[in-house]
Amino acid sequence: MLRIIDQYAFANRLRAVDPIQKGAIAVATILLCLVLDRPLVGWLALAWMVMVTVWYARVPLRVAGAVIGAESVFLALSVIGIAVSVGNEPPAAALLAIPFGPLWLSATGASLQTALHVLSRALGSAAALNFLILTTPLIDLIELLRRLRAPALLIELMALSYRALFVLLDTLDQMVTAQTARLGYASWRATLRSSALLGSRLFIVAYQRSQALEVALTARGFAGELRVLPLSYTVDRQLWLIGGLIGASLV
Amino acid sequence: MKRRWLIVALGAAVLIMFEARPAYAMHIMEGFLPPLWALFWFAVTIPFWVIGFRQLQRIVRDKPEVRLLLGFAAAFTFVLSALKLPSVTGSSSHPTGTGLGAILFGPWVMSVLGSIVLLFQALLIAHGGLTTLGANAFSMAVVGPFVAWLIWRGLAGRAPFWLVVFLAAALADLSTYVVTSLQLALAFPDPAGGILAAFAKFGAIFAVTQIPLAISEGILTVLIMNALQTNAAAELQALEIKGVRA
Repeated sequence: MLRIIDQYAFANRLRAVDPIQKGAIAVATILLCLVLDRPLVGWLALAWMVMVTVWYARVPLRVAGAVIGAESVFLALSVIGIAVSVGNEPPAAALLAIPFGPLWLSATGASLQTALHVLSRALGSAAALNFLILTTPLIDLIELLRRLRAPALLIELMALSYRALFVLLDTLDQMVTAQTARLGYASWRATLRSSALLGSRLFIVAYQRSQALEVALTARGFAGELRVLPLSYTVDRQLWLIGGLIGASLV
Repeated sequence: MKRRWLIVALGAAVLIMFEARPAYAMHIMEGFLPPLWALFWFAVTIPFWVIGFRQLQRIVRDKPEVRLLLGFAAAFTFVLSALKLPSVTGSSSHPTGTGLGAILFGPWVMSVLGSIVLLFQALLIAHGGLTTLGANAFSMAVVGPFVAWLIWRGLAGRAPFWLVVFLAAALADLSTYVVTSLQLALAFPDPAGGILAAFAKFGAIFAVTQIPLAISEGILTVLIMNALQTNAAAELQALEIKGVRA
């Protein structure tokens, strides 16, 4: 999932568009979903955001669908918790009620409505967030935070971890392949043992990599600050128009 | 007829729980919390971020080269949470890495690094969200690490090494799970039984995945710490981790 999202974040049609623009549209949609808080707004936001992601940014539907699908599975779990209530005695005005040992599981019309309500709100805002992360690479978002005057150390840590992440992930993949080839995951016990080896070796690799990077930077005159050239972005007027339309339709 | 339908639905729900491998099941999703609660959890978490960040700045001022290590530490926590763990129930789950991180780097540093990891999880793999970052950071980057660290510090030397590590990692997971259930219960109290009933309800839903996860993460962390002691004693000493025999 990580590599798929990252890949499309770099390879979609809106890659060069200013992250402020994409961020503003996504955040505004999320805030509208939360503040207006009507089921219709959530469903509309979901539809709009998926459409913009798929048609305007040209992210394949199956990718956008897979991301939102994975989210809905988890969402379904939490929503069940809202819809069903547990009590000691059979509830009075329940739509559904089943005894479960000494307890009664029940769902009333009101609780189902709340559940649907939360479901729509969460799906709408999740789709907006997905639009942002499927069209904007993390490095652009970090650059956006820098422009919003986030502390320099925080920005630097994030940029460093983003870089380190893929180094470590590649190392992890290689180690998993090697372990699998030697039947490292053939049984439950072997899996635990291999996972532990993996975790500890990964820590050592991370430590050594950071030391190597430090040596390399010191050799090049590292004075405690990493500066990179900011990227240049374009402004997409059409996208502002679409964003405005979405906002207006939600309100 | 109605009841049969309900049993089918419940069965499907249980299947989803086991089969979908809810990787980071304790993340509260984007838009799930009402605005007031989202703000409230940000307000609770921000003091920890401020203190943790000040501490980070002090560390970096004293030793500028540590920032590279800190960057890799955040990446390490992220990658660790991508590790697949065999769980006791047969499904697989993913460790959170907060216990290990707190032992290695301390709880204040971990509250910032853990939040960066949570932000990355929201932005890179669509787990969690921006408006729920405060709530998620409180349960996973504040409570979990602090519980782990208190156990690690309180019990080190008084109980067998493996037991201390196991308890620190497992209870960090469990406390995260309890706090998230509480956060959900506060935001969505049960119409019949109130907050307490809602807490029991959300707790029961997530117990299926979270209790086995806590146990396997505890075991894994013990194995990792053992392996680190034999393979990376020098690195551990460079980090000045207390309670580790060299």
